[in-house]
Amino acid sequence: MSGTNRNFVLVYVFLVILPLVGLAGILRGGRKLTAPVSIDGVWSLRVDSAQLDSLPCGKVLAAIPDKAISISQSGRSFVLSFPGAPTVTASGTLDGITLRASLTSPPESSSQTGCAGQFSLLATVDRQADPESLLGALSATNCPTCTSVEFEAKRQAPATSKGGR
Amino acid sequence: MPNLFTLVLQITVILAVCRLMGSLFRRFHQPRVVGEMFAGILLGPSLLGWVAPQFSAYLFPPSSLGFLNALSQVGVVIFMFLVGLGIDPKELKHQSHSAVLVSHVSITAPFVLASLLALYLYPRLSDDSVSFTNFALFMGAAMSVTAFPVLARILIERDMMKSSLGTVAIACAAVDDVTGWCILAYIVVLIRAAHGTTSIWVTLGGILLFAVIMIYGVRFLLRGLERTFRKYGEISENRMAFLLLLALASALCTERLGIHLLFGSFLMGAIMPKEPKFVRYVLDRFETITITLLLPLFFAFTGLRTNVRLMKGPAMWFYCGLIIAVAAAGKLGGSMAAARATGMPWREAAGLGTLMNTRGLMGLVILDIGLDIKIISPALFSMMVVMALVTTFMAVPLLDLIAPGNLVRPESAGIPAQEVTV
Repeated sequence: MSGTNRNFVLVYVFLVILPLVGLAGILRGGRKLTAPVSIDGVWSLRVDSAQLDSLPCGKVLAAIPDKAISISQSGRSFVLSFPGAPTVTASGTLDGITLRASLTSPPESSSQTGCAGQFSLLATVDRQADPESLLGALSATNCPTCTSVEFEAKRQAPATSKGGR
Repeated sequence: MPNLFTLVLQITVILAVCRLMGSLFRRFHQPRVVGEMFAGILLGPSLLGWVAPQFSAYLFPPSSLGFLNALSQVGVVIFMFLVGLGIDPKELKHQSHSAVLVSHVSITAPFVLASLLALYLYPRLSDDSVSFTNFALFMGAAMSVTAFPVLARILIERDMMKSSLGTVAIACAAVDDVTGWCILAYIVVLIRAAHGTTSIWVTLGGILLFAVIMIYGVRFLLRGLERTFRKYGEISENRMAFLLLLALASALCTERLGIHLLFGSFLMGAIMPKEPKFVRYVLDRFETITITLLLPLFFAFTGLRTNVRLMKGPAMWFYCGLIIAVAAAGKLGGSMAAARATGMPWREAAGLGTLMNTRGLMGLVILDIGLDIKIISPALFSMMVVMALVTTFMAVPLLDLIAPGNLVRPESAGIPAQEVTV
């Protein structure tokens, strides 16, 4: 083997082969990592509309025709939206299996109803249920005396299309 | 049925904004495609949806996006066929030791760094329905890709195509793209097989059989087309339509096999005869409509899925900065170190690293697939799109700074590269 070839082999081993071995180690080590629970997808919401209506500015939420919620998750943070009312959105965080989000009624509904309502959502993920479910409550942020409205959401689109464990 | 008024209005606005931004970026010596990518972001929730939500909702109602997506995907299928067409396997066969080393390091370095970054980002930006291995491999594939067409465009514009730097860059980009797509195919197959009813071995067997048919059967058929071109100097419309049909059929086969439409069209382009005049002739037939009409739709659709407002808080912007830094360190730094190790002068080595660091449209295509199969989250997708934009945008100014044209040595024994102008 000529000197040039020997040098090439040495550099190749140092810059290509060794990093590949390192990559294998990283992939092996990374398997032990845990990521936040998956809540991404569409959930069908079961909530008492009459109770929702009784909340200050609750009419905005009670009027949503299709009671489904869509969650778009990015790690511990998520964006929650209602396919039946695209302008109502909320963002929140996930802490373990607990979701916290704050919803604000859209500006146009505020101008129509004179309501600028803010709601907070607190829920936990039940991973044992089949399909998975969210159990929680919606409450009006600016009304400490109002009772919160409990809800249950079942996962409609489980993570079947998701990127594979 | 699509609302035709809405669809045509969308196309009109997209084309106008893309042309405008493309021309604006050209003034700053950037490839037009960079401006068009940027235009896509402007039309999405990051800007238009933020400053004019009512108009954005009117222009891009959610129910209309399916049609826009379908059109844009057809554009990307044809685009990938053209990218495959521009890649000449002979260039890869005749690579010198230095080109082999640079191309391999320019894949492994970003891959390893991306995997290290994945250790940090997986618990923060992913969820437990995605395995770490798939997440890390995807990050590696997305960071190791080079925008072959953008790179070719930069080299042509700077008259560097025949320089030693240009030849090595084109060969390395070709290797990187083929490798990146193979890795991505592997990930997509794994993910789809995990949730499908077909065994992974059946899928792999099908892919192997398909590749054999394409390389030894369809390729033979295509040589006949090239012979016709050589004889008459042109190809009839019927034969061109047949070529397009083959590309679409190939795309359908790979989609049916569980990989993705784009792999089939890319393979079809890659096995095409590489006689330069023939390649130029086919490119001329397909390029105009793809570049001026269909790709801007893809940029707009990608922009509609990119929401930089998801990057809330300093932590998210820190992740984004980290992604850009790691991507540049892996690709630019890795290629530069390898080129330097082979004896290339510092400035040329840095120029090569800068060229290899352009991810452009290829990066967006890969990221789009990642979001479709939900291996990356919307926030991470937005960060990676920003990274693809930044690394592509920085190529020209960096090249001006570190490797101006007069420092680049002419190629001594050049292998002519296909001048892909996409």
